[in-house]
Amino acid sequence: MLEQLLELQERTLVAVAEARSGEQLERVRVACLGRKGELTQILRGLGALAPEERKRAGELSNQARERLQSAMEERLLVLNRAALAEQIAREQLDVTLPGRARPRGGVHPVARALDEIGAIFQGMGFTTASGPEVESDWYNFEALNLPPNHPAREMQDTFYLPATATGERLLLRTHTSPVQIHVMEQQPPPLRVIAPGRVFRCDSDLTHTPMFHQVEGFMVDERVHFGHLKGVLAAFLRHFFARELPVRFRPSFFPFTEPSAEVDMGCLFCQGEGCRVCKGSGWLEVLGCGMIHPAVLAHVGIDRERYAGFAFGMGVERLAMLKYGIGDLRNFFDNDVRFLRRYGASR
Amino acid sequence: MKLTWRWLQEHVTTTLTAREAADRLTMAGFEVESLTDMGRSLAGVRTGVLESVIPHPQADRLTVCQVKMGAERLEIVCGARNHRSGDVVAVALPGSQLANGLTIAVTTIRGQRSAGMLCSLQELGLAESAEGVLILPPGTEDDRPLATVLGYDDELFEINVTPNRGDCLGVRGIARELAAVSAGHLMPLTVDLACSSQAGPINVKLGEDSACYRYAGRIVSGVSVAPSPTWLIRRLEAVGLRAINNVVDATNYVMIELGQPLHAFDLAKIQGSIVVRGATDGERLTALNGVEYPLTSTMSVIADDRGPLALAGIMGGADSAVEGNTVDLFLESAWFEPVAIAKTGRKLGLNSDSRYRFERGTDPDGVRTALDRVTQLVLQLAGGTAGGLVWAERPLPQPPLPIPFRPQRVNRLGGLNIPVAEMVAHLTALGCHYRSEFGQVTPPSWRHDLRCEEDLVEEVIRLHGYDHVPVVMPEAVMVASAVDAMSQLIGSLRRLLVANGYLETVNYVFVSPDEQRRFTPEQPAVALLNPLSEEQSLLRTSLIPGLVATAVRNLKRGNTPLRLFEQGRVFLPNGQGGVNERERLAGLLCGAMQQRSWYAPERLADFFDIKGDAMALLSALAIDAVDFQVGGPSCLHPGRRAVCEVGWMGQLHPSLQTELDIDHPLFLFEFDCQQFIERQQSGCDQKRPPISPFPSVSRDLALVLPETVPAQAVIDVIQQQRQPLIRHIDLFDVYVGAAVAAGHKSLGVALVMQSDDHTLTEQECQGTIDAVVQSLQQGLGATLRGPSR
Repeated sequence: MLEQLLELQERTLVAVAEARSGEQLERVRVACLGRKGELTQILRGLGALAPEERKRAGELSNQARERLQSAMEERLLVLNRAALAEQIAREQLDVTLPGRARPRGGVHPVARALDEIGAIFQGMGFTTASGPEVESDWYNFEALNLPPNHPAREMQDTFYLPATATGERLLLRTHTSPVQIHVMEQQPPPLRVIAPGRVFRCDSDLTHTPMFHQVEGFMVDERVHFGHLKGVLAAFLRHFFARELPVRFRPSFFPFTEPSAEVDMGCLFCQGEGCRVCKGSGWLEVLGCGMIHPAVLAHVGIDRERYAGFAFGMGVERLAMLKYGIGDLRNFFDNDVRFLRRYGASR
Repeated sequence: MKLTWRWLQEHVTTTLTAREAADRLTMAGFEVESLTDMGRSLAGVRTGVLESVIPHPQADRLTVCQVKMGAERLEIVCGARNHRSGDVVAVALPGSQLANGLTIAVTTIRGQRSAGMLCSLQELGLAESAEGVLILPPGTEDDRPLATVLGYDDELFEINVTPNRGDCLGVRGIARELAAVSAGHLMPLTVDLACSSQAGPINVKLGEDSACYRYAGRIVSGVSVAPSPTWLIRRLEAVGLRAINNVVDATNYVMIELGQPLHAFDLAKIQGSIVVRGATDGERLTALNGVEYPLTSTMSVIADDRGPLALAGIMGGADSAVEGNTVDLFLESAWFEPVAIAKTGRKLGLNSDSRYRFERGTDPDGVRTALDRVTQLVLQLAGGTAGGLVWAERPLPQPPLPIPFRPQRVNRLGGLNIPVAEMVAHLTALGCHYRSEFGQVTPPSWRHDLRCEEDLVEEVIRLHGYDHVPVVMPEAVMVASAVDAMSQLIGSLRRLLVANGYLETVNYVFVSPDEQRRFTPEQPAVALLNPLSEEQSLLRTSLIPGLVATAVRNLKRGNTPLRLFEQGRVFLPNGQGGVNERERLAGLLCGAMQQRSWYAPERLADFFDIKGDAMALLSALAIDAVDFQVGGPSCLHPGRRAVCEVGWMGQLHPSLQTELDIDHPLFLFEFDCQQFIERQQSGCDQKRPPISPFPSVSRDLALVLPETVPAQAVIDVIQQQRQPLIRHIDLFDVYVGAAVAAGHKSLGVALVMQSDDHTLTEQECQGTIDAVVQSLQQGLGATLRGPSR
């Protein structure tokens, strides 16, 4: 009996050590410890022994079973580790091969600039409005204090459309300022609005395209003054260019603002030393602005004694060229995909 | 507006340099666009006297010159032939750089040392061509800068004068501004004129229908018309005017100086008296530029008894012009109403320095001064005797009115705290008159742009300095505003397409009639009245022409594959002459959608790429029940296009592909954004069922059908059954080949079934499938190849 048990134990331990796979080991386990396994048979035979001997044999066979079980567990661990190592070795890839390509899209550089501009003004509490691209003479000119034959109209070469059935003169808006009128007609102050959009002028050369983009912005409230205009625009330029650059406000003329100003920013490229981009002046003209003209407020029925407002306008292509380092305006509408990928944004 | 620094200094005394003055002007609202040293190309070039000129011992064509320059003597080898001993010449010294880029150095020419160069006008950059070296007038002092001798020792300002400041289109106006910003003192304008006190023998009448409100004239008799002196020519050329003769030059000079356009007539060519009147329709006038203009009654002319002599305020007539043999002059200075001049100029398409100033407004009180000043200059330059003043006037159409002015308004609008005394000082410096007892300011005669209180506010803040306005952020009440559905939609569309690999393009809204015919022949388009060219004469009615043009341009440059989109407006005529603007979205695919790679072969774009992208867009936007039908615009391949309520998609028509000369087909879609919004499920009022917690079951069917039955018909039949358990129908396979009968195809369809309240049993699933198969057999003649799972 005992010899039989020992012999089984030794034989099984050898078989366990020689098992080359989980399946082989399982077969060894079943053959020994399974319901019909040899050890199980031996244990069943214990009943036939004398009590004394039975106790001793029971202890020994339990020891043998435990020993075998732990040997099998150990062996299984070893085998599993080896199998895993083998699997890993088998599954080795050349990870330096390129990944499965996904096309990269992107928004147009003008849209990228518009998004960036919009985000800064939204952060300052400005809402976004839009208006028609085909405008009437009234909205584009007269309501903005540009009466017929005003010399300032010649600053903006206008595309005209055939008159309507009612004789109204239509045109492609030359600036986004008409949105000021539309908004002020519909909403009472306080107002903080930006109006991005396409504008059109019949002019085409190296530095002019017949279509381009502007962002108009304005604020109307009690106690708004010129200092606020300076504050808002200086903050905008600081955030848009992510640089602390000198900003100067220089008197100028726009029919729809009084006082009016041009905003210059220290040249990004030469730090004010004077270079080709700033034409040697050290300054870059980036914006036009001013306090909304009382005639404009009168046209939309806003009491100029109670309210005041400021307005500003900026050329999006110009800002994009300066910020992203784009050299040629005409690239924007040529839409070469290499240009779009380089200067657009994929966010 | 161009002027020179020395000219300006004749009107304002200042301790500033030209650069400093330019900066002050810029910050006063007169942007100096450029400031250039007129003599910069003459730096290092000085005068010298030739003491001797002897032939070069080693070269026949060269001479060796001894040049005296002050105490110095230079030896210079020269190849010219026109110089003689005793001549005063221009010497470029070693180290100087000539206009043509040549740098002068001490050299040895054929064994002879040469310490400089004698220059010609061409080499100095002062003439297109020149014969020999420049010989200066005898007696010219030696060792002086050539720039000084020739009158180029000056600096040129180019100033951007805004259209409201007609008063600053003259040296005097700019001088006044410089003085007003405390950068100098304005010198008085004194005109000493010896002339008859008798009114002239010429009669002037101003017609009620004319644009003229003040007219001053004077006869100057016995002049000698000749070229102007160098100093005058230099100044006129510097500011961009061509010198003609001393009389015409004098009128131009005073125009630049005072901003008042002037004209000189040849008195011999005036018959009878002068009348300024509206032209009669059909009258014609040949102007000084040689062009004959047809006139209408809205235009004003200066006429004599015979007819028009000049186009009032714009240009003189050729027939009455001052010429070399002119002896007696009639000088004219006048004030014309700006709008009338602007209209006439625009109507005739005629620009002139005169029109430019009159339409921006001249000083009605400066008419007489300018006439006196030009008379004085003519007498000085051309001699002669001045006659008495001829004067006519009418009440001004817009006499200057006092403007209400509240000093506190300046501080409120400016965010400032300027004392009233300072405000008054600024206004006074500009020629305004403040009367505190009435709270009124009367602007000077030349400041017609000052009309309302805010105009005065600007003047005060401008002179106080925009730099001194504080930089502060406004305080404001927070306002919540509704988010605009369209801009939100457009933002989503752009993000989705970019995530799917599309590049955004921005194309012109202008298309050519050719493009319109090609892509949207059914759709009328709005034509611009004044297009830049035929190519850009229509407003687009579809985004496709621009997108396709961009694709073609890229393909010609070898840029492929292309995934492009544009979001923008199209312009549809509304039938009443008006225009409806619609926001559209269009996309384009071309070339390899799967590039050749180590894991897959190249795969070119096809219809199902564009459809897949379009459907992904619609589903991401939760656009309800879009039903694509066979069809679409005529620019698409008739067998590869689909249309629905919100737009269409398909392959570009093969004939257009051939016309455009491109190798690969283009796949396109165009959608109407407004239609999207109308169909978009709104955010919060949907009562959607909860997501079922029970497992779903998927069963595949292999259906054999006649080849002509569209896939959509299968899906429609299944959906019409309204089987409550069917949640999805996936079409995963299409097979045509040996395994099915000729004229037939096999479609693999997966039915996904699920219940909201229990786990499905096999019987339920089978029952659903049996019902579906039966309806497909009855409806479409489909047979089952047997469940393929």
